[in-house]
Order: sequence, then structure tokens, then C-alpha cells
Amino acid sequence: MKRFAVLLIVISLFVPSFAHGATKVKIGFVNSITGPEAPIGENLSNGVTLAIEDLKKKGIDVELLKEDDTGKPETAMAAFEKLATSDKVSGIVGPYTSKCAAALAKLAEKYKVPLLIPVASKDDITRQGLKWTFRLSATTNDYAQILLDMATTLGKPKTMAIVNENTDFGTSGATSAKAYAAKKGITVVAEEAYAPGSPDYRSTLASIKSKNPDLVFMVSYVADAILLMRQSREIGLSPRAFLGAGAGFATVQFAKEKDISNDVFSSTQWTPDVSWPGAKEFNERYKTRFGKEPTYHATTAYESMMIMAETAAKAGGDTTRTRDALKRGKWNGIMGQVAFGDYEGYTNQNHHPMLVEQIQNGVHETVYPPQFAPKKPVYPFPGWGK
Amino acid sequence: MTPAADAGKGTHYVPLALITLSIGVLLMVPLFVESTYLLHMMILIFINVIIGSAWNILGGYTGQYSVGHAAYFGVGAYTTMILLQYRQIAPWYGIWAGAVVALMTALIIGSICFRLRGSYFVLASIAVAEIFRVSALNLKAITNGAEGILITEIPPLTIGGTLITDWESKIPFYYTGLIFALVSITVSWLVLRSKLGYCFQAIREDQDAAHSLGINPTLYKNAALAISAIFTALAGGLYGAYVGFIDPSTVLGLEKSIQIVVVCIIGGVGTIFGPVLGAALLVPLSEALRSNVITDLLIKAGLVRAESPVGVFLKENLAHAHVLIYGILVVIVILFMPEGVLGFFRKMATRRGSRGSGVGGRRKGKDLAVTSDSEPSTHDPKPATLDSHPATPNSDPRPPTPDSRG
Amino acid sequence: MAIFEQALVSGILIGGVYALIGIGLTIIFGVMRVINFAHGDLLMVGMYLTYYIFTILHIDPFLSIAITIPLMFLFGAFLQKFFINRVLNALPQNQILLTIGLGLIMSNTVMLAFTSDYKILTTKYSSSSVTILGISISSPLVISFAITVAISLALTWFLRETNTGQAIRATAQDREAATLMGINVKRMSIIAFGLGSALAGTAGALIAPTYYIFPQVGSIFTLKAFVITVLGGLGSVSGAMIGGVLIGVAESVGGAYLGSGWKEVITFVLFLLVLLLKPSGLRGKSQT
Repeated sequence: MKRFAVLLIVISLFVPSFAHGATKVKIGFVNSITGPEAPIGENLSNGVTLAIEDLKKKGIDVELLKEDDTGKPETAMAAFEKLATSDKVSGIVGPYTSKCAAALAKLAEKYKVPLLIPVASKDDITRQGLKWTFRLSATTNDYAQILLDMATTLGKPKTMAIVNENTDFGTSGATSAKAYAAKKGITVVAEEAYAPGSPDYRSTLASIKSKNPDLVFMVSYVADAILLMRQSREIGLSPRAFLGAGAGFATVQFAKEKDISNDVFSSTQWTPDVSWPGAKEFNERYKTRFGKEPTYHATTAYESMMIMAETAAKAGGDTTRTRDALKRGKWNGIMGQVAFGDYEGYTNQNHHPMLVEQIQNGVHETVYPPQFAPKKPVYPFPGWGK
Repeated sequence: MTPAADAGKGTHYVPLALITLSIGVLLMVPLFVESTYLLHMMILIFINVIIGSAWNILGGYTGQYSVGHAAYFGVGAYTTMILLQYRQIAPWYGIWAGAVVALMTALIIGSICFRLRGSYFVLASIAVAEIFRVSALNLKAITNGAEGILITEIPPLTIGGTLITDWESKIPFYYTGLIFALVSITVSWLVLRSKLGYCFQAIREDQDAAHSLGINPTLYKNAALAISAIFTALAGGLYGAYVGFIDPSTVLGLEKSIQIVVVCIIGGVGTIFGPVLGAALLVPLSEALRSNVITDLLIKAGLVRAESPVGVFLKENLAHAHVLIYGILVVIVILFMPEGVLGFFRKMATRRGSRGSGVGGRRKGKDLAVTSDSEPSTHDPKPATLDSHPATPNSDPRPPTPDSRG
Repeated sequence: MAIFEQALVSGILIGGVYALIGIGLTIIFGVMRVINFAHGDLLMVGMYLTYYIFTILHIDPFLSIAITIPLMFLFGAFLQKFFINRVLNALPQNQILLTIGLGLIMSNTVMLAFTSDYKILTTKYSSSSVTILGISISSPLVISFAITVAISLALTWFLRETNTGQAIRATAQDREAATLMGINVKRMSIIAFGLGSALAGTAGALIAPTYYIFPQVGSIFTLKAFVITVLGGLGSVSGAMIGGVLIGVAESVGGAYLGSGWKEVITFVLFLLVLLLKPSGLRGKSQT
């Protein structure tokens, strides 16, 4: 019964015009299934699995061609070549990582196959004026901006320390945070780029503590996020706010570590309690299906696959018409309003609104911006207590 | 390909004809093949042939098992890409600059690492490559750090005003790769036949004996590394320009170093065509495993129905298991074909000819293990040496040869 | 301020776990002369064992090493008997590649079995600490350091005093002579690899409560293990202990003063310097 209700909601959301008779469409999906990026890649796969089910219910029979890029650009290229030339797909969703996406964006242009990137957030990818590459998620820039916007409306922070993992996502996040902090009149007192996977960050955190910053801005993946916060607690680092730029800080695993994660802010692309249509239902369904909570990686992949498959099906599988339809189309689903526009040097970039969530009692609550947020933020950080 | 490698022995016209024929076919491929997918695979094979042959000169002929060749690959790739990105110098020129920088790097690294032998050298080579990787991560002003270098387009190549290529399609990359690969094989062959090659092998077989015969080990090891580094860097530059994106973990990571070694060992170390065979086997194999060809074949052959639970299971899981299968294959090759695929087939060939001498190398090694292993901490214990070369005429292991030549 | 002291103390404590990883590798190298590229993957297997013993049987990670150690020993012995013993006399690059292949098999089997998700083992004390003289000391690290010391002492005793231990050391010194003296070298190799993987597995277990677990976690520690063992001298147990603590401290102090980005470079430069100036390592005997 419940499933039926979900189905109805989903149908009402995604079917603007018609859906009768099974339409067949061939869609490629490039993702990091194995290799070091696989832990996150798995979320994308799960999101796509749900999308395919929903598409089937809507009468769109997707022949999904899943390709593993193992996290390497040249392998992603091989996957793309295969999809574009021998499988002749109508559109491709993926890949997960920015480095693979950077390599594929150019291929999409060459082969004239529309590529919809769900979540790879490197700014440059949609800044090359490429006509066949679309991106659903917000870019790395936005992760920092929304957090600093919020922090400056809540209080008057003067100083900030930046801790980031030394990866593409980490460094570009840190760079944009620094630039935006300058605009907001915040002095950056410490910048620490660490190699992910080190078991000990205590000395770094101790040196940050000695500089006594108002804000600590962190860009890290799941596991390091937990490690950094555990060790911050050990060291007694207690700024006015911990700001996490998505990734690790936006995961449920992190939220569950109540002792260390309470009151930490995180910018994210999606939250289960956001007021976007279908978000809550998706959350429930994902949990029952995969036994864990969805991340924004999963939802962006889900929404990307829905958009790509539907558009391609409507265009009869023709790549040019699919691209034109993507360019013109407007959607409103679990990722909120989606439209691929050209602005601020971007091409075919969805102006996705970022959200800020805060962990309150072990649960992520959306707290900013106010129009999407049901809860109020706790600021400043009340300290480690107990 | 197996008989072709015997060309070193003398006047074999058949292999020569075979080589000419295969080069001819390879030159024609882009004219008839439209599948860019296939061309992509071919380009990756060429890149792997280059790095495999390059590593082989140092690791195979000279016996210095570097597991840090990503350093040179990365230096080549980074020099080419940095010149293109910040100085607008076309890769066609930048790639040579990359080779020069790699050569200088090699000489510095060589002078440090070649003071070490065996396992110590292996570990030092890893450390050097790691220092390069971490430096590339941190020297943001030059390398753009972890964000890597993304190029959007390559300036067209013109000679005297005529446009040669605009690098838009894969064909120019195909021919560049092919030419580089052929050159690296040729150099490999020339080195092996020259006095240089004999000195390299003398060092591999017994460095101290070679030294006492008047061969300066440091000099020749550095020479081997220099040649090796230049070609590795060329491959790196080609890779960068072709893929259009590099970052420290892709071109400087330990994984890259290992990949270079694997190509060589799977094919057959110390032979001219080993790396070629290794690349020609490994690239398509890992692609076939990755794209789950096995399941497709099973379904197409009617053995498994696509909708059946087994079919669904295979479709879902075999794609996840491709690295596992790859690992299993590597282990199988090492255990049962210790001289690589090429060595294995040669042994099969000799076995048919001579009586009883071709017992599996593994078993022979096993017997010897009990009786002689007097040199534990240096590289290359004797039994392995005796075992691995009887069927490789072009890499004559016996010390007398360099003796008489040098 | 107390930054230096803080860095020093946490460096020493984390160094204890590093030492354990290093000792495992050094025993394997000492006896077999094989560089084990799958060492980190053995550690990863130890982590997963600990994690599942904790979540299914609810046994504390520090107690469950009593189960992990024998299991990892058997696993290591199995690998040695059926795989590595076969390449003992092969070319070094073949040995390296075999261990790389085994590592790939381990990490990918684990990935297929338990998915590639990060697993976080949270105990009550995972983020607890005590503050002494303004320096905060992580309680789980203190416990694991104590266990490390105990294991190292037990191991030293085993290698010095027992017959098997002496046979292992004899094999490490000179295989041929050991064979002539009637030592079953293959058996010693099996025991040595078993010991090595048990130590790697224990390190994994000790680090699990404060770290995180995923199938590819091994590669991080494989590289560290190389550095530690060379620093201490390939084949030297006491050297590996010193090397482990040294690397822990170098990383920690380097991280505090040079920034976390460059701290890895410090380790590798240190590593190269030792290789060049004293290739036999800090505690090693002169090299052939």
C-alpha cells in the first residue's frame, strides 16, 4: 500500500505529459564500482537501481549499461567509448569522481552523446563551454559559500582555520573557502591540507587550537571526518562553529557518532527532511531497500537517471533531441527544481541550491537557508561538555 | 611473435617478414577500423608497450627492479601538461622537454639509489616515487596540486603552414603511440645487441663479477635508467595529452609503478617481445573483465538466460569482481608461468624439441631450494637465474659473453 | 605552548601500532627475503575480523585479539604454504608480484563479501581521553600501546629462548646453513609468515577502535610498513620497534610544524637518508 502511495507521488512528480506503453531506451551509467572510490560509488549505484525501478513503473524500460571506471580517467574513457560507439546509448549518467568526469566531458562533445554528471563537483568541468555535458549538483565553490553565508548571519566570526584533505575536492573546497572568507572579512589563520587515511591528526589539531579560530572549516570524507572530530574532542578544540563541507560530514554514519558530531554544521546537496517533493519517501524507501540511509550521492544519481532516461525516452533515443530537451527542460523532484542554465561562466549547469544541516541529537536537521529548513541552528558551538 | 624474437640470433627471414607484416597491418588499422573504442584500446596498448619496454631495459636486462617508475611517467606527463597549460607550448614539443626533465631526474635519482642493491633498491625506488607524488600534491603553484591539470584543447600541429593534424580524432594519437612503441622496441633490440646490452646483463647476472671484469656498474646502471626514464616519460607525456587530465595519484601513484612492472612480468622479463605481449594481453583482458564480457558471452551462447537469477547475479557481481579475477590471474601466471607468458610458450616449444629438459621451472626451483640458496639478501639467487633463461637466446645469461665482447 | 609535547606523546603512542606492523613485515623479510606487498591487506583482514567479532559477538576489540591472533596466524601460514613457498627461489620481481596479486585478491574478496562501505567501529572509549599536564592522551591509544609492548616482549622472548624461535632466527641468518643443521626451512617460513600476518592482524585490531575500515585501507599501511622496517633495518625486530615509534613521532611533530601536507615527505626523506647513510638500518647488521 505504502509502495503504491510512493509510486503515485513519484508518477505525479515526474510525468508532465504522457506515459503509456513501454518505451525502450538505452542509457549508460559510468561509476566507480571498484577501486578506492568504490565506497562512495556504491551510493550512486543504489540510487540508479531505484531510478530504474521507478522508470519501469512509469512505462520506460531502460536498458542500463553499467560500466566501472575503477576511479581512473583512462578507464572511464574506455567505458565511454564503448557506450558511445559500440552500445550506441542515448545518454550517459556519471561518472562519480571529478577526474573521470573531467576526462569524459570532452568525449561527450566529440561523440555528441549527452552526459549528465550527477555529483562530481569540480568547477571547471562545466566551465569549458561544452554543449553536451550537463551537471545536476552544485559545484565545490558552493559548499564553502553557503556555510560562510550562514555563519556570518548567525554571528560575527573574525578568524577561520581550514582543514582539508589533500584531494581534488578537498583543495578546491579550501581554495574557494579562503577566497570567500576574504570577501566576508574573515581572516584565515591556519590552512592544513592533510593526506587522507592518516590515523593521527592530533598534532595538526593542537596547532590549530593554539591559534584559537572562531570557525573551523573542514573538507573530508566519511572516515576522516569522524577521526578529525574524535581527535578535536580529545585535544579540546572548541571554536564557535565546526563547519564541514559536505562529503564525510553529511553522512549518517557521522551523525550517529553523537558524542563527537553534535552541533557540527555541514553543507550538503540534499537532506531527507528538506521540503523538496518526494525527498522523505525516497529516504524511507532507500532505507528499507539497502539497509542504510541515502547520501546526496545517491539522490543526485537517482534524479540524474530519472531525468536522463525520461528525456531520452521522449526524444525517441535520439541524442541531439535528448540534448536539446535537457537544455530546455525543467524538473521538480527529490533534488528540488532542476534546470540546466548558463550563468557565471558555467554552461549547462543546474543552479542547485545548497543546504546546511546540523547534527542535533544524532540526526541531521536542515537549518539553512530558512526557506527549505524546518529547524533552527544551534550557534555558537556549546563546547564539548560532560 | 615468438619466433620473431629469435631475430637476434641471425638471419631469419620469416620473423623479419612477420614483423614487417604486422607493422604494415598496424599502420593500416585506422584506415579500415571505424570503432574509436578499438582505437582507444590500441592507444592504451601502445602506451603500455612503451612503458613495458622501457622498464624492461632497467628491470629486465640490468636486473634493477624499480617499483618507482611512476616518477618518470609522472615527470613526463606533468612537464608536457604544465608547458601546455601555462606556457601554451604544444605537447608535440613539450613531450621532448618532458623526456629531458625525466633524464635529469633519472640521473639524480640513479646516483642516489644505485648505491643500493636488491630489496633495498626496490624500496628506495618506491620512496623516490612517493616523494615525487607528495611534492606534486603540495607544490600547488606549479602542479595545481590535487586538483590536477585539465586541458581543453591541444594546439594543431602545423609544419610550414600546412596543417598536419588538429588532434581532434584518435588517429593522430594512434600513430604517435604506434611510432613511439616501435621506436621503443627498436631501441630495446639495439640495446640488447650492443655492447651496452651485454654489460647490462653482466651486471644482472653478477654485479661483483662484472665489476671485476672492468664493467663500471654505477655507470651502466645509470645508462640503463636513463634510456628507461626517457621512454617512460614519453609515454607519460603521450598519456597526458591523450587523456587531457592528470593528477598526482593517477600518474605518480604506486599503482602506476606496479602497473608498469606487471606488464613486463606477465609478458616475460628480459625479452624484447615480453612487454609487447604483456601489454597486448593485459590491456584487452582487463577491459574485457571490466566490461563484463564473460557474462555477455554466457548469455549470448545461451548457457545462461539474462533474466534468470544466475544471469542477474552474474551481471551484477561479475562486474564488481573484475579486479579479483585480475588478481587471481596474476597469481596463476606467477605460480605456473614464472617466466611470463612468452617464456611459458617458449618452454613449451623447447619441450617438444628436447627430451625431458623442459620440466616446469617451478618444480626445478623447488628441488634446488633445499640444496642451494647461498645468497639470501642480494637479488637474483642462482637457481632462479639458471631456471629462467635457458630458452631465451637473445638474453644470453652466461657471463663469458660480456667477457669476450667487453 | 604544549604543541610539541602533545605531538610527541601522540606520536609515540601511534608509533606503537606502527611498530607492530613493522615487526610483522621484518620477520617475513628476515626469513624469506620476500618483500610482502600484501602486508597492509593482512592488516585489513585483521580489521574486518575485529569488526565482525565486535558487532556480532560483542567482544571488545582489545579482548578479541585473543581470537584474531590465532586466526590470522593460520591464514598467514596457509598463504605461505600454498603460495609464497612456491616462489622462494624465483626472481624477486615475481615474488613482489605474487604478493601484490594476493593483496588484490584479499581486498577484492572482502569488498565483494562486505561491500566497499566504510565501517566504523565505535566503542565507548573511542574518543575518550585523559588530560595530564595539559596534554591530552587518547585512552584507546594508551591501551593499544601497552598491548604492543607486551606482544613485542613476548615475541622477543619467543625468538630468543624457544627452539622454534632460534630455528627461525637461524633460518633468517643463513638458509643454507640452517638446512644443513637439519632445520626444516619450509616449516620455519610457514611459521614466520604466520607470525607476520598475526602481527599485522593484531595491529589492525588495535587500530580499529580509533580508525576506520574499508577494503582498500591496506595500501596506506603497506607503504608505512616498508619505511618502518627499512628504518630499523630489514630483518631486525628491535629495529622495527624503534622505526615504528620514530615514524610516529616524525609524522606527528612534522604535522605540527611543517603542515600536514608535507609530513609524508618527511617520512620518505628520512627513509632515503637512512637507506643511503646506513642501508642496514638503525639496528641492522651490515648488508651483503
